[in-house]
Amino acid sequence: MAWRRLWVIGARDLMRNRRRTALSLIAVALGMALLMVLNGLVQGALEDALQYSIRYQTGHVQVRKDSYEEEKLSLKWKDLLEEPEALAARAQALPEVKYAAPVLWLNGIVNTSDDSAGVRVFGIDVSSPVYQPIRDATTAGAFLTADDRNGILIGKRLADELGVDVGRKIVLDIVDASGRAQESTFIIRGLFTTGLPFYDQNSIFLPIAKAQAFAGTGDRASAVVVMLRHADQADKVTAALQGPGLKVLTWKDLNAILLATARVGLSFYYILDLIVMLIVAVIIANTLLMAVFERVREIGILSALGMRSAQIRIMFLLEAILLGMAGILAGAMVGSIGVAYLAHVGLAIGDVATVGGGAYLMGTRMYARFMPGLFAGLGAATLFVVVLAALYPAWFASRLEPVEALRAL
Amino acid sequence: MPVIRLEGVTKTYITGEVTATALSQITLDIEVGEFTAIVGPSGSGKTTLLQLMGCLDRPDSGVIQINGRDVTRLEADQRADLRREQIGFIFQFFALIPVLSAYENVELPLLLNDVDADERRRRVTELLDAVGLADKANRRPDQLSGGEQQRVAIARALAPRPSLVLADEPTANLDTENGRQVMQIMQRLNEQTGTAFVFATHDPRVVSFARRVIRLRDGRVVDDGVQVPEATSWAADDYGMDSPGSCSLSFC
Ligand SMILES: Nc1ncnc2c1ncn2[C@@H]1O[C@H](COP(=O)(O)OP(=O)(O)OP(=O)(O)O)[C@@H](O)[C@H]1O
Ligand SMILES: [Mg+2]
Repeated sequence: MAWRRLWVIGARDLMRNRRRTALSLIAVALGMALLMVLNGLVQGALEDALQYSIRYQTGHVQVRKDSYEEEKLSLKWKDLLEEPEALAARAQALPEVKYAAPVLWLNGIVNTSDDSAGVRVFGIDVSSPVYQPIRDATTAGAFLTADDRNGILIGKRLADELGVDVGRKIVLDIVDASGRAQESTFIIRGLFTTGLPFYDQNSIFLPIAKAQAFAGTGDRASAVVVMLRHADQADKVTAALQGPGLKVLTWKDLNAILLATARVGLSFYYILDLIVMLIVAVIIANTLLMAVFERVREIGILSALGMRSAQIRIMFLLEAILLGMAGILAGAMVGSIGVAYLAHVGLAIGDVATVGGGAYLMGTRMYARFMPGLFAGLGAATLFVVVLAALYPAWFASRLEPVEALRAL
Repeated sequence: MPVIRLEGVTKTYITGEVTATALSQITLDIEVGEFTAIVGPSGSGKTTLLQLMGCLDRPDSGVIQINGRDVTRLEADQRADLRREQIGFIFQFFALIPVLSAYENVELPLLLNDVDADERRRRVTELLDAVGLADKANRRPDQLSGGEQQRVAIARALAPRPSLVLADEPTANLDTENGRQVMQIMQRLNEQTGTAFVFATHDPRVVSFARRVIRLRDGRVVDDGVQVPEATSWAADDYGMDSPGSCSLSFC
């Protein structure tokens, strides 16, 4: 059949009604660009949240005592690792492991003369590169040293809230391993700003030796935190570190809430994607239906010339495919610019990220990610939707009786 | 064997409560090479008759044969195939595809008929030459006058070498001079190709070109006879040999 001629007729028909073609082209292009920006942003935000969480909170793999309950940040001896240093050294020896270090977590309340705040206390191996990100984020004063017996590092945000600064004293209250309240005074050595409002407001750091002494845990630790060269080696390393009485968790387990939330969030996004595509579909269907109405007599002529109804249907579908592809290409260009802008400059979202607890760490800006595979999929889906939307107008055109069509003026 | 045979063909339109019998009990043959006018007052059924002959529509009763084949009850796609191969149409409005050039319009039915490229080029060139539009082959319809557009339509109708060309008031939208030119071209191509032409008209000057005249009234044939083109009419003017592109067609 005269395929090439059908394409030509389709293309020229699109050129004939330039304004209408331009409008529907813009609709498809905007739809496509919007889909790219929306999906690029949400993927970026989720990916960032996961990376922040791994970097500042969970690491890639954690080894804990199997009775340890994270929600309680238990300090009972039976719930803590006996020889965390040895375990960390064992992990460090694995080729997949970049760094490993023990950590002791405590719940605490910091007090100044007229204010107080609940915090999570990290007793850390201050010399370990696991905490390089915090060292890098230290913007005032200095990072901790291992032998510091009363130094403390707090978030700038928390410091501002409490009205304290480097060199000032604060009092930290905890409940120790044996369940007794303990209080100790620390001097603020430095302030850190990770840019994650929740984290900067709720985390404080001590050298692990001081934390252990303060909490009466001996040289026990809550966990050994392991950073890997590649996140996808987590399962292998987990298997290697497994031992009796231990529980080894990967970043997937440790970020289960985040990942589940992300899944729910993404399904919400699929609905949003569908709505955008539906709008595109309605515009395309409308445009093509108008084109069909305008060309009723032409359809009659083609039918008189012996074109079968299926060929007439194909002719209109080809026109829709041309329009769709042009729109998607234009949209991909606009969308790429949008995504590139949002990937570099980001989108300010303010401090909303302090809500929702530490499960979902977000900065004050969202940054988009360029996702070639996802965007290609969205383009294909949009083209599919455009063709679907063209089915009815094309079917309508092919159903016209030649006699009726020829009579139309 | 006649090109087309109608036996007792009846067509009734029903719109709501109203039934209009457009044609009743039409029986007639169109032979190979005929040049026939269908005349009659408005509403007498001329267009309906051409639509049935052209397999654009189906009769309510009666039988229609094209080249001996019963086409009365064919499905839409089979009728489309038949039109594509056997029947050329010329309409009152200049029924060209607006986005295609004159050349491409004439070529379209050949593409639909899967004619190969060399043959297509030969036929389109010859036909455009025959209707005197060789130099305007690349113009779009809106760059052509009404008469020129109708000549392209004639070339297009003849491109697939149909056995029958049906023209519904082909000169009604043309001025006298262009109307005459269109009729002369149709007449000449009828003689050169042997394709039967049937045209509906109100215009006595157009009728004068015909060798056979079928008169309709209220959907019935009231007169059917041969005639010699009149000396004083349009058709007698010595125009034919000088008319643009009066070449002979090699594929006839
Ligand atoms: N689609 C239709 N629906 C209803 N009635 C119709 C239809 N087409 C034609 N008719 C009726 O059938 C009769 C014949 O119409 P037709 O168009 O064949 O006449 P015609 O001879 O071509 O007239 P004209 O010279 O005005 O073109 C008329 O009474 C007309 O009103
Ligand atoms: Mg009529």
